[in-house]
Order: sequence, then structure tokens, then C-alpha cells
Amino acid sequence: MSHFNCSCSRRGMVRSLVCGSILLPGILQQLLADAAIPEANPLAPKSPHFPAKAKRVIFLYMTGGVSHMDSFDPKPKLVADGGKPMDSKNPKSRSLLSPMWEFKPGGKCGTEVSELFPHIRECVDDICLVRSMNGDHNDHFQATLGVHTGSVTFKRPSLGSWVSYGLGTENQNLPSFVVLAPQLPYAGSQVWDADFLPGCHAGTRVLAGAEPIPNLNRRSPTPEIQKMELGLLDRFNRKHQQARPGEPALAARISAFETAFGMQQAMPGVLDMSKETDATLQLYGLERGSTKGFAWQCLVARRLAERGVRFIELIDVGSSDNWDAHGDMKTHEPLARNVDQPIAGLLKDLKSRGMLDDTLVVWTTEFGRTPFTDGPTGRSHHNKAYSSWLAGGGVKGGLVFGKTNDYGAEIVEDPVHVHDFHATILHLLGFNHEKLTFRHAGRDFRLTDVSGTVVKALLA
Amino acid sequence: MALLRLTRCVLCILSAAALGAFPLAAGDSNPDGIAWFEKRIRPVLVDKCYKCHSQQSDKVKGGLLLDTRAHLLKGGESGPALLAGEPDKSLLIKAIRYHDQDLQMPPKDRLTDQEIVDFETWVKMGAPDPRSDQEASAPPPIQPSNHWSFKAPAPQQPPNVKNAPWARTDVDRFILAKLQEKGLTPAKDADRRVLIRRATFDLTGLPPTPEETQSFVSDRSPMAFEHVVDRLLSSRAYGERWGRHWLDLVRYADTSGCNSDYPIPAAYKYRNYVIDSFNADKPYDEFLKEQLAGDLLPAGNDRERYEHIVATGYLAIARRFGSRASEFHLSIEDIIDNLGKTMLGLSVSCARCHDHKFDPIPNRDYYALYGIFNSTRYAFPGTEIYKHPKDFVPLTDAAQAEAYYKDTTELAALDDRIENLLEKKRSFERQDKVVAKADAKEGALAAERKDQVKVENYPTVAEVKAALEDAHSRQRALEAKVYPFERAYAVADSQPANAKIQKKGDPHALGEEVPRGFLQVLGGQQVQESMSSGRKELAEWIAEPHNPLTARVMVNRIWQNHFGKGIVASPNDFGARGKQPTHPELLDYLAQRFVEEGWSIKRMHRVIMLSHVYQIASDDHAENAAKDVNNDYLWKFSRRRLEAEEVRDTILAISGSLDRSQGGPHPFPPQNTWKYTQHTPFLETYDSLRRSVYLMQPRIHKNPFFEVWDGADPNAPTGERPVSTTPLQALFMMNNGFAHQQADQFAVRVGLVFPQTARRIDYAYRLAYGRPATREEIRLGEDYLARCERALHDTDTPADQRGRAALASYLRVVLSANEFLYID
Repeated sequence: MSHFNCSCSRRGMVRSLVCGSILLPGILQQLLADAAIPEANPLAPKSPHFPAKAKRVIFLYMTGGVSHMDSFDPKPKLVADGGKPMDSKNPKSRSLLSPMWEFKPGGKCGTEVSELFPHIRECVDDICLVRSMNGDHNDHFQATLGVHTGSVTFKRPSLGSWVSYGLGTENQNLPSFVVLAPQLPYAGSQVWDADFLPGCHAGTRVLAGAEPIPNLNRRSPTPEIQKMELGLLDRFNRKHQQARPGEPALAARISAFETAFGMQQAMPGVLDMSKETDATLQLYGLERGSTKGFAWQCLVARRLAERGVRFIELIDVGSSDNWDAHGDMKTHEPLARNVDQPIAGLLKDLKSRGMLDDTLVVWTTEFGRTPFTDGPTGRSHHNKAYSSWLAGGGVKGGLVFGKTNDYGAEIVEDPVHVHDFHATILHLLGFNHEKLTFRHAGRDFRLTDVSGTVVKALLA
Repeated sequence: MALLRLTRCVLCILSAAALGAFPLAAGDSNPDGIAWFEKRIRPVLVDKCYKCHSQQSDKVKGGLLLDTRAHLLKGGESGPALLAGEPDKSLLIKAIRYHDQDLQMPPKDRLTDQEIVDFETWVKMGAPDPRSDQEASAPPPIQPSNHWSFKAPAPQQPPNVKNAPWARTDVDRFILAKLQEKGLTPAKDADRRVLIRRATFDLTGLPPTPEETQSFVSDRSPMAFEHVVDRLLSSRAYGERWGRHWLDLVRYADTSGCNSDYPIPAAYKYRNYVIDSFNADKPYDEFLKEQLAGDLLPAGNDRERYEHIVATGYLAIARRFGSRASEFHLSIEDIIDNLGKTMLGLSVSCARCHDHKFDPIPNRDYYALYGIFNSTRYAFPGTEIYKHPKDFVPLTDAAQAEAYYKDTTELAALDDRIENLLEKKRSFERQDKVVAKADAKEGALAAERKDQVKVENYPTVAEVKAALEDAHSRQRALEAKVYPFERAYAVADSQPANAKIQKKGDPHALGEEVPRGFLQVLGGQQVQESMSSGRKELAEWIAEPHNPLTARVMVNRIWQNHFGKGIVASPNDFGARGKQPTHPELLDYLAQRFVEEGWSIKRMHRVIMLSHVYQIASDDHAENAAKDVNNDYLWKFSRRRLEAEEVRDTILAISGSLDRSQGGPHPFPPQNTWKYTQHTPFLETYDSLRRSVYLMQPRIHKNPFFEVWDGADPNAPTGERPVSTTPLQALFMMNNGFAHQQADQFAVRVGLVFPQTARRIDYAYRLAYGRPATREEIRLGEDYLARCERALHDTDTPADQRGRAALASYLRVVLSANEFLYID
């Protein structure tokens, strides 16, 4: 891939360590050889089941349940019927709530998006919008787990972990699955857990600020002393290993320290935005020097994607003060403002760099919201119908798929269950979702459990 | 909303159908059509139609059955439901289209447009249908299984072997016979330092002290190793390590796993019970019985009675789900899953939705067990909706216990009452005098509660407010009560009742009632005593000497935790999908000996550790490796990495910081201050210098240390710890504050004992690696310390601290090295 910085590759790092005299040359051959054997490194890049356009995923997750009828699923009849009872025969039933934001068509395709997301609306020609999503649970915790792992009950590996397990990763100095989540979502780190998959496939949470990954910052008194320590450690380990030649784990651990050092060196560069142009920052709506908000997350996502990270998940806000607008739909406004321009910026930036072709961007939430009121001007949870979208790597831009009824309460055409959504994402990455399995406790588990159909209509 | 997707289980069965488990109905060999049926039609039939139109329906409506193609063609009172190929002439299609005022099915819940189109397409295809006539009736009886693990262990004579002197014990004869059969030669004996390090970690999870190592090395008595084993078995550290193995299996945690991960301050009592039981060498059969039915067992005195009650924490500790009582069926599934895997090595919970696909466990068996566990009352830790814990078991006399139950029941009821009153108040505020109808959030809750709590009528908002104030003050009064006795996170019997089959695992689709009882393949005994849950009987069936699985599964675990791999390499699965035993005769020999010697776990350790095969070196051997690269037949000792707890405990032990006292309760905030919800869940971690087994183990938000070092998953039975080697582990050793502090403590310890650098280095090697340093290693260390001290000149480290800082830097390397982390 032309846009990868070669000096960041593991091989490059090994070489640079040798030059920096941290490693003695004797071990070089072996480390380079290890990197080439997939068994020795579960994160080595692997081919999927069949050729596919998408090579990596940027997964944009909105916490709390975004109202579909206020964002991506226009319901003129609901606007007209606001205030009337939900069930016309039952005057005591809950009253309908008119969506507060006007919808307008965008792009050449004319897909309608509300004023909550005016910037994303500019990108609809690249977006494949699904208005018929549905999931298995109506509570945040379980639905959030469901969207990430396919299971609303028992904990399972996350989508990102499955992708890392299936494809490995291209930059051994960065985790294969990075999570940018300023606050913990519902169900916490279970959302990006590898569960029974090997631990190297778990998401690594990267935070803005002094220490983006736990234990990343050098704690030894000086860089020189740290290098001395690693050099001495290498001598200890090499001698130990030479006496025990048949043990790959010992060599793997020697490599792990190299990678750790590589990560320590590489990560600050990922987060260093000083070389980004003003134009790029403006595109995302990011103030220079700021590490706040979704704009920062989106720009970091692009930089991680450039460096070969396989799966990048962005979670906008945490398990409180989020899209869970029970009392007042107006609370959607600042949340939308936080993500709208950055997401559009990310799509445009990826496109202009030629990366949108092989990067799959996914936008989703755990469920939609009810057409009727909950609190005075809020809406409740609604897992029977909501909207999500895909863009980039192998998806049909400008498409609207699926349909809900006049109030957005029921799906009337082409339902897409979370399992179908997962099956489609895996397909776009080159996997038959029924064959990407892992034997655990006597059973071959997969992301889609025993369900899921690829939604062919979404494919370019 | 169905908590359980019916389609899942249907499709699960489907794969079985594809494998030929169900005979296809004649003339339906069209695979696309069958796939269409399975994917689009069957789930809808199950979900929306079977309630009234199946042989298993409580009441069949209109004489119409939809269970098979024949039933559809025959139809009901209105005539044939189906004319294959002719959707417009099929009554079924007419009914679901809802065009006819008088014929609309399903009556309340119209199918979606897509579903209707699917049915039309299906009828057009000729209504392909794989369902046979038998399918809807009861499952066929289980065939006696030929699988090895369901047969009783056969008496085993240790085989005769060549090279008899190598074989010191019967265990060795089994091992050597297999090695010879495979053309493998055992490695030479392990060095004594290696052996004591191995044995000490295996039994205690801690390193031997330099003095212990020295004393063993110089003890020339033939009993020397036996004495080491006995000393280790009688140390408290033994139970702390082997209890932890058990806690892995029972997915021990100090929080519930509900949406807000409620803390359970009393859970530690069960943890300590497990540790103490291992230390006391409690016979394994009793250990099992106490955990399943301790509350129902006779006890000689109060202390014993309380211990038995605490033991049932095994059941209480089950994973909790969501925030609502309606999800408790998942906790029962978790209990059955855990009991199956942990005690029997069987994946029983696969039979929740259908007959087990590989093992002889029918759907009915799951519900035979379900009835037992559904007749049990579980301590409830509270959730964001029901904030007050209840049904914890008081460790006191009957009178005090009753008063306590009364209070907690009232408190729990007050939660409901307050919620109801608030809802009333809200509806007044909405100018809406009708109790608001359910909405999706509070609604399901309100619906759930409506059954339990009568909604009272208050004419004015003032009266609602007064009632609310009353309820709150009563709540505060009850919360403030202090009880002079402890409570256990434990269980008791509730109203005993058989369970009904939950069709396809859906708790709302009830089928036939199944008598409470045991797995058919293990005897199928039924609960005779109608007045009890049947836990006591179940405990006896599991722990009886003739059960072919219980002893085998446990001796396999003991073996596995000594050799790194079980004789059966799938310790939680002895079923058809599990691994075959590498040494079946040895497994049977050990299982029988285990039972004969009173289910003593400590005796098993001696039997295993005093064998020759336990004491051989981990050296590699090219010829052997070519024949048995995974060392399945034990021609060498398999090197292993320290487990998470061992890493932390050993660092603390070596630095001299380890607090060896037994852990008690965790410093949770007072219960009446908890405001945990799924929006603001419980997230604390509590540090201490005690052994890691005593650290607070949260369920949802894993302790980061255990996450990095492959700790057990507190949500599922961990039979084997995965071993990963990751850069995050390396970063931990390089940069973590704990690693740095402990290296500094280590430097202080080493520095205080010896003034000379060479002696310090040597002592560090003895502490960390269990051996003296070589001259070359001492030279290397001295050189490093000198260089490091020089490098520290450029820092703000005060001159008199540079020696200490350099030594700490050096010891970080010692602690990061593979020789520290791996046991030969």
C-alpha cells in the first residue's frame, strides 16, 4: 500500500533497532524469520476467503440510540400527526412526537438527511444507507453488546477482534484493533474484548493525553537507560533461549519487547498532528492543538488507517449524557454537532487520499427511538427499526435500502438484522461469515451465531 | 420483545436437519426451496403461529395444525390451508394478507409485508417443507452411548514395561509403556533447583525461597522430594493457588455481571471457603455436595452449618444478566452450563433449545435440571431497577433470620412501591390521571411489576406525595438497621416445581412439563421428594462413586495443572466433540484411585508428583520432537509461563512486599450509598499487597492487570488459561508503576542484605531464578550497574540515590527476563 510509511513496519523497526545497537545482529535473522511465519505471529497479515475491496474498517459508534426519524429516515406523516395518539382508536395511547429537524435531499442521489447532519448529507453519494436495521434487545447494555459481538446475552468476541483474527494486521508496531473512546460505553470494555479469541485481537483503547495506551510512556530515567535495559534484557533472553532452542514462545517474547518498544516510539507520531495542514484540520473542524471531541478521534482514525491498523472503532460519548433522549430530543443537537462535520471530513479526506476505496466506514448505534413521546419531548428506545450506514470499500454509494412505515415504527421492506449487518461487513472484507469460525468449548463459534444473511443489494 | 431469538435456535436445529438428523418429507428434495422455508417460513411459523396451531399448543385453534406439510394440506375447520403453487387459492395466504375482514391471521399481530411476500413466494415454489410427521412429537429416546466417557472406568493394572527401574510408580508404568509404544525416550532427570522451583510454583503459585532451595539441594535423603511436596501441601499458599484453579472454573467474581455490575460484598466468603476447603483437603465428593446443596446437608454445629451455606455461593455466584427479573432464566442456563462443564465435563446447556447435537443429552434433560434450579431461591445483589439486595442467607438462628427476611422483603417491595408512586406522580404532572401505559423503558418494568404490586388509587397529587414521603422514610428506617450477624451470598430452597420445556429456548413458549431429575445418560434418576428442590439428590448423583465422569474430570484437572495439559486435553468437554484421552488407562487408574482413597485431592498430588515423569527435565530432544512435537506423551516436562496471579505474587514476594495474610471483604462503599446504573456502572478497582487471589474481581470491567496477563474470564468457566505473548505485557514490565516500584523494593531488599555488588547480583538470581549467578553473569551485572550509574549522572537523581536507581534498573531487567517468567 503506497500510503503506508515503510519505516513503521516491524521489519523496519527491527532494522532500526539493530542500527541503534539495541539488538545484537545475531538475533536479527531469527526475528525477521519469525515475522514471516504466521504461526509465530497471530497478527501477521492474512488473506481472507475471497478477494475483497475493503482492507480495513473505521467503525463509528454513536452511544445511546440515535433517533432514526430525526436523522436519516424522513417521516412527513409523523411531522403532520405530531400530538395525536399513537393508536388512533385509543385516545389514551402515547402521543406522537413530530421530528424537530427538517429533511433535505443531498448529493446527486438525493438521499434525504435531516438538519442534524448537514455535513454528512454532503457525502450521501458515497453512503449506503440502511433504514431497516433491527436488533434483539431494547436495553442499552445488551443492545450495545449485540451490535458489537452479535450476542445480547453472553459475552462474545467483538467485531473488531474477529476482523483482526481473520486478517491479522499490517503494522506490527501498532495494535491491530484500536478503540478511540474518551468515555466507557455501556458494557464497558466487553464491547471490544476478544473473549475466547487470542488476547492479541482485543481492542486497545487509545486516549488523548499524556499516556494514550496504558504503560506506553517510558518510565526509566532516560531514553538511554531504557535502551540499556532493553539491550541487557535481550542478552539475558538470548542466552536463555539458546539453551532452550525448541521453544517458540521464548522467541515470541523477545519479539514482543521489540514490538512494545516500536509501539512506544510509533504512537506519539500517530497522535502528533503538527504536520497536518490547516486545510485538513478545517475539514474535520478541529482546532489546532485540540484533542477534544469527535474531530480529534476522526483525524486520528485516518492516521491509524494510513499506518495499517486493521480495525479502528470510534465511540463518540460514554454511557451517560448521550443520545438516550428520553426527556428532550433537543439533546440530539450538540451530540450531532460533535460528530457531523468530523465524519464528513473523514469521508472526504479518505476519498481525496484514495483511501475510501479500500476502507470500509460504518456508522451505527444500538437502536433507534420511538415515534411517540417518552418524557415531555423525548423518545424511548426502539430496537424494531433504526438506521445505520456504510461507506467506502465495496459498498454501493448513494443507495437507500429498506423502508419503515409512516411513523418509522415498523420495518415494511427489507429488514436488516444486526446479524445481517455483520455478515455484510465480513463479506465486504472477503469473509464468508459462516466460515470465519473459532473452536471454543466444543463448538465452532462465529460472529453471526447461527444466523445472518449478506445483504447483496448493498454491495457495489 | 423476545429476549431470545427464536430463529437462532431454529436455524441451529436446521444444521442438524441438513446433516440428516431429520428425514426429509417425500418429494421435497429442492434444496433452495428448503433453505427458503428454513430461513423465511419456519421462524415465522414458530414465532407467530405455533402458539395456536401446533401439536404442542396448549389449545389448538380452528382445528388447524401447521406442524407438517401434511397438516397444512389437510387444513382445519375452514378447509385445506394450502394449495401448493397457488398462493391466491391458499387460505393461509388469504389469512395473512389481512384483506378479508373475517379471516385475519395472526389475529393481533399482522405479519410484515416482507413476511407476507415470503410466504407467497414459498407457496408459489410449491411449498417445499422438510418437516416430517414425527418432528413435532417427543424426541426419540436416547440410545445407550458408546462414547468412552459414559462408561464406568475399568479396573486397570499398570502395564509391564521394559526399563522397569525408570518406572518408579504405577503412573510411570502407564507413561513409559506409551512412550515405548511411540518410540520415545524420556528426558533425563531435572536438576534439583529446577525441580523445587517447578514443584513450589505448581503447588503454591510462589517461588521457593533461596533457603528452601538450598535445603533441598543439600538434602541427600531419598525422601527429600517427598518432604518438599508434603511441606508445600501443608502450606496455606497451597489452597490459595489450587483454590484459584477452582475459582477459574466457577467464574468467581465479586460483582454480579448485571448491567450496572452491582458489587457483592459477601461474595468473598465463598472465595475463602474454596481456599480453606483445598487446604483442609476436603474430600472432593463432599466439596461438590456442599456447593450444590450445603444448605440441605446435616451439620454438627453452627460453624459447620454456616460453612455449608456459604458453600452454596457456588450457585449464587452465577452470572446475572440485564436489570430485570425476567432475564433470570439466563442465570439458570449459566448455572447448568457451569455445573455441566465444571463437574461433569459436558456442555449440557447446548440442550436448552434442542437435543444436544453431538452428545446424548436431550432437550428434556436440560429442563429436568432447570426444574431443580428454578426451585431454588438465590440471593439477589440488586440492580439499577431493584436497588435493594434480598434473599441473602443470614448466618444466625431461625428467629433472627426470619426478622431479617421480613425486613429485606419489605425493602424490596418498597422499591416497587416507590417506583409505582413516582409513576403516579409523573402522570399527575402530565395532567394525565390515567396511569400511563407502558413505554419501552419504564414500561416493561411497570408491566413486570404490575403483577406483583397493586396499583393504588390516590385521588390527589398531594396524597401521592404523602404516600411517597411515607415510603421513603420507611425505606430509610429499614436501611439504617444494623444486624448483629453476617449474611452469605448463597441459596435456599423455594417452592419446588417441575419446569416446562421452553420451546426453542424461549421462556414464553412453554411445552411439556419435565420431572426434576438427572441426565439420562448418567442414570436419569428423578427427584422423589416432592417437598424439596432436588439439589441434594442431584449433588448425590453427581458425587456418587459410580458416576463415570465426576472423578475422571477432576483427576484430569489435577493432572493438567501439573503437566500443563490434561490426559484429556479438553478439560471441560469429555463429550463427543472433546479430545480423546492420550492415556485412557492411566486416566481410569487415577480416577479409581481417587475414589478409593476418599476423593483426597492432596493424595492425588502426591501420586502425580512423586512419579518419575513429573521429575524429568524440560530439555528438548530433536528425535522425540520429530515424533511428538506437542509432547502429548510426556517425554519431557512442558515448560510453562507463570499465570497472571503468579506474575504479580512472585514480583511482590521477591521484592519482600507480599502481605501473606488471608484476604477478607473488599472496601466497597456502604451499600445504601450505591447509585450504580448502566449509565454509571460500578468501576472500582482496589489495590492491596495481598496475594492476587484476594483482589476484588469485577465481572464486566475486568481488572487491567488480569486482562493483560491472560487472567481467567469471570463470565465463563475457564478450564485452561490461554497463554498469549503480547507487546502490552512487555510494556507492563517496561513502564508500569507497579513494576518500577517493586523493582525498587527489590533493590532495597538486596542492597540491605549485602553490601558487595557481586553478592547482591547473586542474591537477586537466587530469589528470582532459584539459582546462583555464574561468574560471567556477575561480571555482566557489575558492568551494567557501573554504566547505569554513569548514565544517571545526566539526570536529577541525587548522587546518593544513583546506586539504588541503577540496581533497580538492573532488577527490572531481571524481572522482565524469560527466565523469571518461565518454569522449566
